[in-house]
Amino acid sequence: MSENLCPKVNMSSEDWDPDVITRMIILGPGARVSESEIVGEFHMLGLPLTIKNTCYGSMISGKKDDVLKAIEEIRKLDPPHIFTKERGFAPGDPRRCRGHRFGPREGFHQMEKEYTILGYVAEALENPKDVTVEKKKPVKVDDFKEIMNECLENK
Amino acid sequence: MVKIALVSCGTEYSGIQKEIEKAANKFGAEIILPEIDLDYIDEAYEKFGFSAQSSSLKLMIARAMAIVEGKSKPDAVFIATCFRCAEAALVRNEVRRFIQNNTRIPVVTYSFTERTKADELFIRMEALATTVTRRSILAREKQEGLTLGLDSGSTTTKAVLMENNNVIGTGWTSTKDIIESAKTAAAEAFGQTDYDWDDLDGIGTTGYGRFTMGQEFGAELIQEELSVNAKGAVYLADRQKGEATVLDIGGMDNKVITVNNGIPDNFTMGGICAGASGRFLDMTSRRLDVDITELGPLAVQGDWRRAMLNSYCIVFGIQDLVTTLAAGGSKADVAAAACHSVSEQVYEQQLQEIDIREPLIQVGGTSLISGLVEAVSETLGGIEVIVPEYSQHIGAVGAALLVSGMGHRQDNK
Amino acid sequence: MVKVAIYPPNSLILADLIERKGHTPLVLQKQIRQKIKDPEIDSPPMNITEEDPIKGLKYAAIEVPSGVRGRMSIIGPLIDEAEAAIIVDGAPFGFGCIGCARTNELSIFLLRNRDIPVLEITYPTNQDETYVMVNEINNFIDSLEEKSEEE
Repeated sequence: MSENLCPKVNMSSEDWDPDVITRMIILGPGARVSESEIVGEFHMLGLPLTIKNTCYGSMISGKKDDVLKAIEEIRKLDPPHIFTKERGFAPGDPRRCRGHRFGPREGFHQMEKEYTILGYVAEALENPKDVTVEKKKPVKVDDFKEIMNECLENK
Repeated sequence: MVKIALVSCGTEYSGIQKEIEKAANKFGAEIILPEIDLDYIDEAYEKFGFSAQSSSLKLMIARAMAIVEGKSKPDAVFIATCFRCAEAALVRNEVRRFIQNNTRIPVVTYSFTERTKADELFIRMEALATTVTRRSILAREKQEGLTLGLDSGSTTTKAVLMENNNVIGTGWTSTKDIIESAKTAAAEAFGQTDYDWDDLDGIGTTGYGRFTMGQEFGAELIQEELSVNAKGAVYLADRQKGEATVLDIGGMDNKVITVNNGIPDNFTMGGICAGASGRFLDMTSRRLDVDITELGPLAVQGDWRRAMLNSYCIVFGIQDLVTTLAAGGSKADVAAAACHSVSEQVYEQQLQEIDIREPLIQVGGTSLISGLVEAVSETLGGIEVIVPEYSQHIGAVGAALLVSGMGHRQDNK
Repeated sequence: MVKVAIYPPNSLILADLIERKGHTPLVLQKQIRQKIKDPEIDSPPMNITEEDPIKGLKYAAIEVPSGVRGRMSIIGPLIDEAEAAIIVDGAPFGFGCIGCARTNELSIFLLRNRDIPVLEITYPTNQDETYVMVNEINNFIDSLEEKSEEE
């Protein structure tokens, strides 16, 4: 528990390397690949990466060039449904891991919320089409008056 | 280990998270975050009913709700928001009230800056940790047996002897050597009775010198002044239930403590300007050639508006008062102006940082200056100000009260 | 390749859409990573120290709460670096760095004042609106490509 405030967080040299980055791979609803297939594919690439299976997809960590290359490859599996996001903390970093802190990290809530429209985004990417949406305007004062009077009369 | 839930909108971003955790650890506590999920945040936020724009404040509300609804079970709660943020200050106070009204979990609040003072943080965490571990002691509402309370402050040392819920002796001396001063004050208190050290059931110590005194006299209770003064004030003012604010304008520094059911939940401490302290009044009485005890009644007769006072400063302000006197102004008006100046300055420097709750219980030596008490009430829009008997001995009374029931010295004989 | 600032700066969707088109989204997590991977700084969990709110004075005055200035010391450099910006209004709430409404107001103002191409859109609430958002973002990014080709 005290890891989150101990003077020196116990991490490997790779975790301290500023050139090592972490990416989350998130599968949108309706994806044609599964989490485990993604992880399998990452392993098949043979790049020096740390790969983790998670509830939303997977998390990879490694040298920036390797990570970006792996993502480019993995996206090919299902371009509209595979999304990726940077993560500041390395996987399992005790400073932010909920296992140590009880509460989830803040970014997790943000991701949960964005996930709810990911299906629509995937759809828009896969089948692009022009859509116009009428902007809602406040009701005109005269209309308001009319409706109000109507309601009062019917009472 | 005492678990303290952090309810805040982002202490990390002010660079003070580590300080908070360090302070908690020092007093055998650890900081935790209440576990909640996204749906619960929306639900809790709507239920609470405060429309906050900042989403971190929504998270803060949800965390408070999780504590109230028992989803998270901390021993204590630390509520903190940035100093000078209006939105957060509103939420902080409402969340504080919400937790206090619906649980028995002790709460401490704080508004911080990046220059958060370690002292203020430490004393809050100590108060919070001891409130948890010593809940039964703080619940004490009546003094029993024969107890001695010793309060070693930076300028004065106070002693109070209590027996069967009554103060039977008091002592007061300026602080020099901590132990010697305590002995002098205690001797004065014993002198008013037929008792001596050997007759005591227990000793409680508080104030800056509490550890030194506690060790020397084998005290049964060594407690920081925040809990002790708050307890002493509500006890003497007979306000042990409900809310109150305790104000102590000291000779060197000032303390403001807010209290809920006898337990402190916030305080501010200041001491950067002599113009906002008892020292200003001490200087004024010397200039007026009256004893400090006469300054209060004199001020009550005067009108501060008739004296020119353009500065709060102890140098320039006093100079203004001398000019007023030279121009034929009355001593009473000058005394009133001095009291008004101190109270306004305390308001500007400190009272604004805290949510003042009625009644305000004024304590400490300066509470005996009636003109100052009147000025404080006026500055705060005419709120009820109570000055209880023995208000100048508040810490010693609190210590004597809290230690009763803990000491069993006579049993062993 | 254009450096595109996004708001919310930790948005998954915005960053992903920009990257798909071969541009660089300026995301918050990179800033955080720089901080937390600096072994010289020892202030978990975020490694923000009292120095950071002071650095934030570049963006906001001393009277502004320390939390706003601390956040600006992280977000500010992203704004300074931006060559284009996409701002989403009404985005679902984010926490942490972007949990403070005052910081967000200032950041968005600074982006609008940067004399760079800015796209402002509303966060979608249904499928049609999502189409509109994705199309607008794609068109905006394409227009950036044309501009950089012209130059």
